[in-house]
Amino acid sequence: MSGNNMRDIKRRVRSVTSIEHITNAMKLVSAAKLRRAKATFENTHEYFHYVTECIEEIFNNTREIPTKYLLGDREIKTTCYVIITSNRGLAGSFNANVIKQAQAEINADWEKPYIIAVGSKGRDYFKRRDYEISGEYLSPPENISFVETRDISKPIIKLFNDGEIDEVMLIYTSFISSLEQRVKTVTLLPLDLEREPGIAPLSRPVEYEPSVEEVFNYLIPKYVEIMIYGAIVESATCEHAARRIAMENATDNATQMIDDLNLYYNRARQAAITSEITEIVSGADALK
Amino acid sequence: MADSIRLEIITPEKLFYDHKVELVIVRTKFGDEGFMAHHAWACKLLAIGEIWVQEAGSKDFKIGAISGGFIDVKHNITIFTDVAEWQEEIDIERAQERLDYAKQYFETHKQAESDEDEFLKADITLRKAVTRLSVAGGGSRRKR
Repeated sequence: MSGNNMRDIKRRVRSVTSIEHITNAMKLVSAAKLRRAKATFENTHEYFHYVTECIEEIFNNTREIPTKYLLGDREIKTTCYVIITSNRGLAGSFNANVIKQAQAEINADWEKPYIIAVGSKGRDYFKRRDYEISGEYLSPPENISFVETRDISKPIIKLFNDGEIDEVMLIYTSFISSLEQRVKTVTLLPLDLEREPGIAPLSRPVEYEPSVEEVFNYLIPKYVEIMIYGAIVESATCEHAARRIAMENATDNATQMIDDLNLYYNRARQAAITSEITEIVSGADALK
Repeated sequence: MADSIRLEIITPEKLFYDHKVELVIVRTKFGDEGFMAHHAWACKLLAIGEIWVQEAGSKDFKIGAISGGFIDVKHNITIFTDVAEWQEEIDIERAQERLDYAKQYFETHKQAESDEDEFLKADITLRKAVTRLSVAGGGSRRKR
């Protein structure tokens, strides 16, 4: 009986060991990918503020800007949700967190949502729950280029201009550190700009060419494009960070489990030896 | 030597260029325009075209291709564009390929009866390809 038990334990040790190998390999791969994604992320992040600053500057210094993109220009009815998840699982609660937040936002909104899913996990979730997915983008986010993300942002801007959607919300995971990521909801359009009295007007007049209006109309869609690109890059970084942590935990658990199983195995082995000795001794005693 | 001014060229992916320059020539919506230090403050939209940069202390120009964007001239000059390439980085084969594609498109399609977006796209493709090839071949401006 104990021999049987020993064989079972041994088999389990073997299977857990191979799981440990896999999770460990995945951890290393994620760590390498994270490093690469982080470099891209840091590169892009540094220049993000630039376009926003430019918009604010124009806003604060001129009067004749078009109000089309600003908050309060029209009533907000249909909201477009851009939900950024990953294409692959095994990243802990990475996708679940984004989806939970998105679902909460959609539940709070009684108009029919307009969903654009970036990443297959989010798409699958909302498709299963019979939401209409108006746009989906499933290419791997690691090496996406800015030009490619324009395929996502162009239709959004067009829909906004046509009045099909009145608000654009971006839901993605923001990178705080390798150990911490947080889901963030950003309203891309309409812009909520306020004339801040604190900012001093520019000391010299600025020439806008062809016109303030055109510069502004160029900057806003650019802002949307850049924000979406940035969010995808950031989300990819978070995905790898989350997966690395998840795989590290899995590896730790597997090691722990192997230790425990080895202990049980040794106990079972000891028990088997003891019982064998007892049998021999009692057999010898009987012969006396 | 003329005064120099700091020029930054930013793409969404990286800081493409950051250096003191004497003169930078870009194509605005209304034509080529040069900017030097102490220029009046301006914010101008750019067309697809060449960029010529004369670095401080240098006689030669660096030539590149940029795909639109805008230039912001204040204490520094900042150019924000979607894609930027220097002369030596241009993939000539690919540019030629795109040029052939665009030419073919215009031969087979008439503006009135084709999709507006696609027509615009082909037009942009053509402009980009022409710019790239011209930059790769030494730029359209005669060297001084």
